[in-house]
Amino acid sequence: MTNKIFKMFGFLPVVMAMTTGASVVNAQESSSDTVRIAVVRDIASFDPQQFVTGNFYLIKNLYDSLIEYTADGVAVPSLASAWSIADDSFSISLTLREDVLFHSGNQFNAEAVAVTLEKATDPERGRQLFSTMSVVKDWTLDGEFAISINFKNPTSDRQMLDLVQFLLPIDPAGIDTVDTIPAGTGAYLLEERLVGQSVTFRANPNYWRADEPATENIVFTIFDDDDSATAALESGIADIIYSGSSRSAIRLADAGYQIIKGPGKLTQVFRINSTRGPFQNQKFRQAFNYMMDRENILRIAYSGLGDIAALPWAAVSPAYDASYIEEFAFDVDKAKALLAETGLSAAEMNDWELLVRSRETDQVIAQIVQASLADAGLDIKLNVLGAAEWREDLLGGNFAAVVAAVGNVQKFPSRVSTNSIYRTSNNPVFGDPHPHPAYVEAIERVNTTVGSEEEVQAAYDNLNRVLVEEAFVIPITTYETGLIVAAPNVSGFTVDIDNMFVARTVVVK
Amino acid sequence: MRKSFQSAAKTIRNLMSRKGVVFSVIFLGALSFLAIFADILGFDYLTQNLIESLQPPSAEYWFGTDELGRDILSRVVYGTRTSLVTSAGAVTIAAVLGVPIGLVAGFFGGWRDAVLMRVVDVMLALPAILFAMALIAILGKGQMAAMIAVGITGIPSFARITRAQVLSLRNRDFVTAVEAFGGSATYSMFRTILPNSWSPIVVQAIVLASVAILLEAALSFLGMGVAPPTPSWGEMLRTGKSYLYEAPYYAVLPGIILTLTILSFDTIGRAMTDFLEGRHELGDHSSVDAESEK
Repeated sequence: MTNKIFKMFGFLPVVMAMTTGASVVNAQESSSDTVRIAVVRDIASFDPQQFVTGNFYLIKNLYDSLIEYTADGVAVPSLASAWSIADDSFSISLTLREDVLFHSGNQFNAEAVAVTLEKATDPERGRQLFSTMSVVKDWTLDGEFAISINFKNPTSDRQMLDLVQFLLPIDPAGIDTVDTIPAGTGAYLLEERLVGQSVTFRANPNYWRADEPATENIVFTIFDDDDSATAALESGIADIIYSGSSRSAIRLADAGYQIIKGPGKLTQVFRINSTRGPFQNQKFRQAFNYMMDRENILRIAYSGLGDIAALPWAAVSPAYDASYIEEFAFDVDKAKALLAETGLSAAEMNDWELLVRSRETDQVIAQIVQASLADAGLDIKLNVLGAAEWREDLLGGNFAAVVAAVGNVQKFPSRVSTNSIYRTSNNPVFGDPHPHPAYVEAIERVNTTVGSEEEVQAAYDNLNRVLVEEAFVIPITTYETGLIVAAPNVSGFTVDIDNMFVARTVVVK
Repeated sequence: MRKSFQSAAKTIRNLMSRKGVVFSVIFLGALSFLAIFADILGFDYLTQNLIESLQPPSAEYWFGTDELGRDILSRVVYGTRTSLVTSAGAVTIAAVLGVPIGLVAGFFGGWRDAVLMRVVDVMLALPAILFAMALIAILGKGQMAAMIAVGITGIPSFARITRAQVLSLRNRDFVTAVEAFGGSATYSMFRTILPNSWSPIVVQAIVLASVAILLEAALSFLGMGVAPPTPSWGEMLRTGKSYLYEAPYYAVLPGIILTLTILSFDTIGRAMTDFLEGRHELGDHSSVDAESEK
């Protein structure tokens, strides 16, 4: 019965795919000189400092980082061929490659790095890099191809390297127009962008890495949804799906397609605005640590692709501590006990709504959380908003509680403060002064502890304990972002620490 | 009065002589019964059984379970409430506002007719779904907003049909007689013309009911309907679409119920239209005659 119905309706997604953006890519173009990638969202801009997931498939193709990380987190050279960290941990000196040209033909040099750093320190232009730059004091040019970055306080090696890995030099000649015109050194040049339909790259003939890029053309086709992208892959219209859903990936894997997972997971969290209503009560917030049915959320919302989490960190993070998962396992009785200690009335505890993005995964998580809260005696409603309204409320702090992922959880722990809810200053949710000074102090301690391994670990442990006690963010699960599903004849994937798509080594046989 | 009842009974007999109408009435009746008495009958649309997510139809779960292990049949039954209440509310709003507009426009004619009908033309020019979405953007999401939005999109059809009826009756003898005896314009409109215009208006109400259900489902499908976990057919179609490969029954079964519901309303509406058109061709104006007997 099920199979019959499937056969009757199974063609629908294929038809949908053919009637959306798929027409941009002709099936006859399938050849080894073109890789066709299905994506489900358009880019936000060509600015490499705008680290939003919509840009993850272009950043590492149009630009290069100063250094790269392997999947295990080991730093390796890129535009910087060598580096050294000062004994006093106040600076890092970089030696730059001399054989690199920007797409414009201009020479890449230390001046370009300085201009990029200057942009990053500007609160308006620095985008997601701005908060990371808060630890940087200044920089000095040590020659045409050498630069030193100086820090305000002694800074750990990992934090310095994280910053350098995050820096993707921009051509000074194009830095003012980088939103709309790419200006990098990357393996590919922008050939064409059809807004909402496709982005096409062609190989950079002057690329500095030997024998790369491996494929001449890269075509990203933007599909309306995951189902259409999946149908495109299955029907041969696309070779790869980038950043599709976990559920589709599992199904496609069963059908013989490849899944390529990277280390750069996101962590899905329950964000709490602790300046509002019952959430000002610490015990009330802490109760939510026990009200997250993490295992079922991971299984149902992400088809089991990911890990349950009671702290924000991905497993590769130096602050990762698995013991918290057991300590804060789903336990409605513990939650009820904490709720009873709050001194709040039932009316006060129920006087809020959970902000939910209209995306299916978010609604699934929200409904599981809503049911768990109901078991604990909390009767709350969901406020489901479209993506634009949701994002505005999220980033503006206009919510009591919301399910929304956080990133930068696989690198130096204080990098988590690049997420709006975790910011230690200018926090759009909490405002100033920060209502959780213990958290601000814990982040500061992590940033400034450069002593023995034990001392560093103690700083991480302190941060972890503060995070669960302050409980303004309740982690739920890590999940795959930038998931790659590819046809069996595609190979040569380079895994990126942030799960950005790296096309320069990919080939279709 | 007795003749009116006889006429109504005759109408019902004629309609029920069609198999399609019989099936439609039984289907809608059964659906309404389930929706009204869902609580008593033990349907549970809310309880999650996460271990049993996406179970296929079985003796325990006739329509299977959704991604959260909830009984899809229960959600379809409760979704009927959402659809029928929204539809009934929308039809009421459309009729309460649209019929008087048509009455005034048709009865007075002149500039009133021109102004009102141009407004109606403007409303007709806007696609209903876009108009409803714009209204929901203003009113906010929720069942009441959907009801108002769908209701407002139905005003033009009621206004047009009522106006057409008024124009056909405006110069009939029984209307002229009422005016000759000093009946006011309000009396003529609401006590003389309107009672003799009900037939097409009722047909329009039935037709609009199906349109309203479809529109509500479309709004929910686009994520602009009721908030979860309250079920609605459109929301089930939207979510079920994502599980078309793993659990085709999730979208297909609610879709079949939605289709049958719309088809039922449409069948009844068409049968009534056919019957009324046939009766008019035969010159059978029972209600007019009954009014004249007073």
